[in-house]
Amino acid sequence: MTAERSIAVSLIVSILASLALPVVYVLVGGNPQLEGILLAVALGGLGLAIVIWAIRLFEAPVEEEPRHEFGSTAAVEATADALDLGSITRRRFLGSLLAGAGGLLAAALVLPAFSLGPHPTRQLFETAWRKGSRVVGSDGRPIRPDQLATDAVQTVFPEGNVGHADSQTLLIKLRPEDLQLAAERQAWAPQGVVGYSKICTHAGCPVGLYRAEDHSLLCPCHQSTFDVLRGAVPTFGPAARPLPQLPLELDAEGYLVARSDYTEPVGPSFWNMTHTEMPD
Amino acid sequence: MLRWLDERLGIADWARSGLRKIFPDHWSFLLGEVALFCLVVLVLTGVFLTLFYVPDATPVTYEGSYLPLQGQEVSAAYRSVLDLSFDVQAGLVMRQVHHWAALVFVAAIVVHLLRVFFTGAFRRPREINWLVGIGLLLLALGMGITGYSLPDDLLSGTGLRIIYSAAISIPLVGPYIAFLLFGGEFPTATIVSRLFVFHVMLLPALLLGGVAVHLAILWRQKHTQFPGPGHTEHNVVGKSFWPSQVFKSTGLMLLVAAVLALMGGLVQINPIWSYGPFIPTTVSAPAQPDWYVGWLDGSLRLFPPVEFTVLGITVPAPFIPGVLLPGLAFTIMTLWPFIEQRFVTRDTRFHELLDRPWDNPFRTALGVAALLVFVIATLAAGNDVAAIIFNIPVEVMTDVLRILIFVVPLIGFALTWRVMHELRRDDRVGPARPPVVRLRRTPDGGFEEIEASD
Amino acid sequence: MRALSILAAVLVLVGLAIVTVPAISPPPRTLAAPGEEQLAQQGAALFARSCASCHGSEGQGTEFGPTLQGAGAASADFQLRTGRMPFTEGAGAQAKRKPAAFDDQQIEALVAYVASLGDGPQVPEVTVDQALVPEGQRTFIGNCAPCHGATGNGGAVGGGALAPALDQATPVQVAEAMITGPGQMPVFGYDQHGLNAVASYVDYLQHAPHPGGFAIGGIGPVPEGFVAWVLGMALLFVIVVLIGRRWTAKGGDEEHVP
Repeated sequence: MTAERSIAVSLIVSILASLALPVVYVLVGGNPQLEGILLAVALGGLGLAIVIWAIRLFEAPVEEEPRHEFGSTAAVEATADALDLGSITRRRFLGSLLAGAGGLLAAALVLPAFSLGPHPTRQLFETAWRKGSRVVGSDGRPIRPDQLATDAVQTVFPEGNVGHADSQTLLIKLRPEDLQLAAERQAWAPQGVVGYSKICTHAGCPVGLYRAEDHSLLCPCHQSTFDVLRGAVPTFGPAARPLPQLPLELDAEGYLVARSDYTEPVGPSFWNMTHTEMPD
Repeated sequence: MLRWLDERLGIADWARSGLRKIFPDHWSFLLGEVALFCLVVLVLTGVFLTLFYVPDATPVTYEGSYLPLQGQEVSAAYRSVLDLSFDVQAGLVMRQVHHWAALVFVAAIVVHLLRVFFTGAFRRPREINWLVGIGLLLLALGMGITGYSLPDDLLSGTGLRIIYSAAISIPLVGPYIAFLLFGGEFPTATIVSRLFVFHVMLLPALLLGGVAVHLAILWRQKHTQFPGPGHTEHNVVGKSFWPSQVFKSTGLMLLVAAVLALMGGLVQINPIWSYGPFIPTTVSAPAQPDWYVGWLDGSLRLFPPVEFTVLGITVPAPFIPGVLLPGLAFTIMTLWPFIEQRFVTRDTRFHELLDRPWDNPFRTALGVAALLVFVIATLAAGNDVAAIIFNIPVEVMTDVLRILIFVVPLIGFALTWRVMHELRRDDRVGPARPPVVRLRRTPDGGFEEIEASD
Repeated sequence: MRALSILAAVLVLVGLAIVTVPAISPPPRTLAAPGEEQLAQQGAALFARSCASCHGSEGQGTEFGPTLQGAGAASADFQLRTGRMPFTEGAGAQAKRKPAAFDDQQIEALVAYVASLGDGPQVPEVTVDQALVPEGQRTFIGNCAPCHGATGNGGAVGGGALAPALDQATPVQVAEAMITGPGQMPVFGYDQHGLNAVASYVDYLQHAPHPGGFAIGGIGPVPEGFVAWVLGMALLFVIVVLIGRRWTAKGGDEEHVP
């Protein structure tokens, strides 16, 4: 096929596709596949024609062009003379005053950027859990241990704060005899029900995967794995801190309530998390 | 017409010299153009999307045509992207072309960067344009990350919380930086509108300005060229800008757009309706970022659980793999022209002729090793997907990658070093080149033969 | 790069396979109410032959298999109809979905026998209802997607375990899995309404259209990244090399004709 004929064919194909596009838009009404194919043919036909034109129809010779030589001493010196910075820096006092004024103004102008966020204070150390907060599911209903099957897992919140991101807690019912909690946490798991913060201590993703047979929680973001029987200590992956455990007990009606807020910050670590106060 | 313009702008001489500008003819010089043309597609489709997107996290009730979300409370931002996908005619194809163009854009930038690196095109006098180029890569990554997060779906929200966790992990300043970026403790309602400002205003302005500078410097300095008959440090051999190069580049632009349109029409990307709206208490697996952030995510997945407290200052686990190491890698890459000049080649001469990869075996071997680290870190971000494909536990997959990320780059370095040295030896005694006739354009527009100096 | 493209190819193939595997719709079936006892007797004989070596002669469990006393009809029905039992995957492996080893009548008999061993969840009755899809979507994303993926395509959950793809799961099987928690799966104690909702959404997912084109696995950015490279970037690379060759006006290569 001659170059002229290839170009003509490409252009005609492109024209046909361009004509078909409005037809599809008006008559077929939104078909991403047809739209994509026709757009590709219209663009591609035109592009191909132009490329063939460039390659086959232009008698472009190989040419040579000299480069500019940059950085000649004479040019640099002449420009430095024209700039004559010395006339400005000679006035030492005024020069430094000028620089100082400019710098301070810039610093002052940056200040409004601090309006972008509040000063971090207690919120990194607290959740909405309080002593006596009833444990409720996402439907807002309180939960009794006997409503849970062994190996059942449920995302729960403090009553009145359903959906609160910081307070999301995983409730897991285990056989009490399987639990190997530290001595001071023995009383935190009434009838084998444990609560752990659902926010990964590594990068903050919800630790949503529970493997019932080996009692492990897995974070899908970076595969940090936590042993539910032993206070959610990390057993694999990049998380270095156990998931904080919510101290639980039963109220007079047998419903699960928190004994207190979490005893350590939930979620990803930050530099002063071992302190109890943010410096002001 | 030309006269009319010249009388007003005096552009005739300037335009003529531009049209006559000589461009070396080598396919690898077109890789940067592919990135440029992806950007053109991104701007065009992006403008369309901006007209429909609503940067607002206010909860609304979805009542569009996607059945599983009907009647559910979602953010206005998420609803607007659903509407774009299901109820705006041509909206889905535009969205998909935009997203594919973004993925290919960064890929083209990376390939272009590799070409520049392995041919030593960053050497004096082109250090400035290397720096501008790295800046453009960072801006492109910033565009990608902010764009990925705009739909306010479950996957993008998961990405944002990892970014928040990396920010808050920086010792001493982390909580302040994270709160300034997000406007408070994650999750915040303001982040969507902030991302929008960054994605459609600040970053594009910087990106387009940077591209203009990148091209202006290229134009001013002229292209490098590969060694060849008649090619010297003091000339450029190739074809004039007009008409052949203009036609080729225009054709390439249309073909790039055609490929992206084809992908956008035929291959589904980021089905945000499947993931559902962002809900801070849930997550779906597998959870990955787009490919160009994969190396960071992979670094987080591979790094051992290291978290320690010194003098009351805790260094959180994500800090080293998520902030420190990537920062170091980018710093070294940014400063590479100066590092190489100072410590590796001690070569401060001007270079208009490119290295072939075997001309500098150390640089090439180092580049290959760095690239392999990047590739394995990127693969590590898909360790859970790979675990399914290879049918092995994800823990084993992770441990294997933890070893490979050291071993493979070392082997790659040694092999490349060896092969490059052999190529260099062969090249020195290589076949005699055919005799060369060189032409020079004379002032009156004709050609004259000059003797070859090769 | 070679490994990358091989992996990508595998991935795309797997993706296409996932997309194109048709959902198997089960025949409707009813538990034969009359003769339940007779069925259980048939089941006992079958059990002794095919199951007792691991689960014990009375289903009390051995070192090779757990007790089935209290497992209930739902658990037995799920394991047998999805072919996970009899277990043939080898020690330590996860039971996988296979064609059922027994016919309908045999399964009913075995289920009746296991149910007679102790109290456990009954085989649930499930109604698939379009109106429940949005509610099912919420529950699914909250409780199922973390392991099975937002599109129900399955995923690795660590420890060598896989959350299986749900493309072949029947509504009843979906409900049975939720109330019995087979293998590594925890128990989700939904009421009838909740079971119907999740089953309805899984059913929706199995027939969901992919308006954007090929779904490439529907598992997010990993296959998307591979497609961007092995389809998009590779195609553009070829285009670039073709355009950038030193062509002569006759279409030949100009390499030696400056």
